[in-house]
Amino acid sequence: MPAITVDNLTKSYGQELALQDLSFEVQEGEVFGFLGPNGAGKSTTINAILDFIRPTSGQVEVLGFDAQAHSREIRARTGVLPEGVETYNRLTARQHLEFAIESKGTHEDPEALLERVGLADAIDKKAGGFSKGMSQRLMLAMALVGEPDLLILDEPSTGLDPNGAREMRDLVREENERGATVFFSSHIMEQVEAVCDRVGILRNGEMVAIDTVGGLRDSVSSGTSLHIAVDHIDDDALQAVRSLPDVDNATVEGDTQPTLVVAVDGSKTAVLGELEDRGIEVEDFSTEEASLDDVFRSYTTDTEAEVQAP
Amino acid sequence: MSTETGSGTETSTTAPSSSINLESVRAIAKKDFQDSVRSWLFWGLSSFFFMLLVAIAGGLAYFGENIAQAGATTEFLVILVSYATLLVLPLIALVLGWQSIAGERESGSIKILLSLPHSRKDVLLGKLIGRSAVLSLSLTVGFALAGVIVAAMLGSFDVVDYVGLLAMSILYGIAYTSIAVSLSSLTRSTTIAGAAMFGVFVLFYIVWNAIIQAIQTLIGWGYLSPETYTLEVNGESFEAERLPDWAFFIDSIDPGNAYSNALSIVTGATETELGVALEEAMFDGSVPFYLQDWFSFIILLFWIVAPIAIALYRFDRVDL
Repeated sequence: MPAITVDNLTKSYGQELALQDLSFEVQEGEVFGFLGPNGAGKSTTINAILDFIRPTSGQVEVLGFDAQAHSREIRARTGVLPEGVETYNRLTARQHLEFAIESKGTHEDPEALLERVGLADAIDKKAGGFSKGMSQRLMLAMALVGEPDLLILDEPSTGLDPNGAREMRDLVREENERGATVFFSSHIMEQVEAVCDRVGILRNGEMVAIDTVGGLRDSVSSGTSLHIAVDHIDDDALQAVRSLPDVDNATVEGDTQPTLVVAVDGSKTAVLGELEDRGIEVEDFSTEEASLDDVFRSYTTDTEAEVQAP
Repeated sequence: MSTETGSGTETSTTAPSSSINLESVRAIAKKDFQDSVRSWLFWGLSSFFFMLLVAIAGGLAYFGENIAQAGATTEFLVILVSYATLLVLPLIALVLGWQSIAGERESGSIKILLSLPHSRKDVLLGKLIGRSAVLSLSLTVGFALAGVIVAAMLGSFDVVDYVGLLAMSILYGIAYTSIAVSLSSLTRSTTIAGAAMFGVFVLFYIVWNAIIQAIQTLIGWGYLSPETYTLEVNGESFEAERLPDWAFFIDSIDPGNAYSNALSIVTGATETELGVALEEAMFDGSVPFYLQDWFSFIILLFWIVAPIAIALYRFDRVDL
């Protein structure tokens, strides 16, 4: 059974279409990265999953329940880190957690939860004096209350320094190992890359790609690029490399110390072998995988071009 | 009814998730109370009520020798205090309540509440109870602390009148809190919510009085016909005119008038002293039930129940 099923979800605000026939599934037990530039519709989707907004058409099911009719049951088993939300200034971190614990009807220890997010020493301080990163940690601790089956984290790294972002990823892994499904939205690829089993990329309210991290890399033409420093190069050799079955493209950079840049999908040794057969000496080589950032950009950057062209 | 049909909200399925869970209501009310009680507001309000009572009792003790001799000092305290609370309680309740929901929607913190397994109805009721508790408890603390001093200053002290005044003030305060919380739930903008609070105040303090004035004027110009009744003075009968029943009813719907009417029942203060007397003679001895004093309790309860009922219905159907 999928943890989240979004089926033909459309949401319009007056004339403006925020989501258009969005469909995807999040499998139970996976860490799903929900990516997209700001304004792509990520928050609208999460709001529909949590019944904060009502779909114009389409359906959302969470943990086997209809998101609208059984929202309370869903939220009883879900931990949520909402985005862009202020905490209650006059309440302490402890009181925030006590409220969440009481609301979920569990008997956890606020201190242990704050320990997990590294906020235990501020337990009796009022949230009004917290930095953005501390508020984010506090709300993450609230999301962990009740060992939820599903964690929905909306832009969880907002306000966190690199160290905090790493701790957050560790927590996501821990929760996932415990058995929780994690639905994780972000506009920054690299945060998703490290923890997610699968990634969906949203653009203008539509899912433009959904695959594993590796699968997404492959889907972009330059899967891996091979940088080979050679003593010399000639056109025949270049043509021969280009005609190899796994090679998409090959170019030469630099004159005195030529470097062959080859985009390959499969075997790298075939390229090196071909060069050596032709008496070209390989002095050095390195491979560069396409970063997911490149993938993300390739899926989302022509957005602006589209917008500009009427 | 719905003003937001344009947004395409579907309301077909509203089963378990829109139910009311008392545990949730309690948790939200407690959190809301904690949040408010920590601010200067609670203690500020308590000391305000304390000082109001002590100041009026002090004035009575100093100037009111005749009243003291008649043994009616607590009555006069009730009358004078109610003149102040009639105006001040609505203001306090509206200020306490105007941001209760709209503020949380504007700052997004309502998502913290609703990420937890609470329904929107739980949130509304919890907020109403939390804010009502702040107002009721600060009234109670102010009255309790002032009680001893007031009793000492006045010499004679009628506990029933004093507690009656407190009880009716709480009821009156909750009515306006219900109006405030409900209006606050109808908008996402605290600016609009603030304007709505101001509108409520204008409605009951200016428009309501103007309606009665307007009816009287219309009668004077002959557009509306007055009721006539026979008045007997010293054995002689006079034909007299009064407003029609429905006009009196409109007047009595105002929560402030209901508060004064209710006070005339539970305390020794008379209707004339509170400015809400209806002469039995005007109705040939039979005042319609909806103009009788006990009905003012129904009106106060109406102002607690009706606004929150509308809000419970509406708030379930909006996008946050």
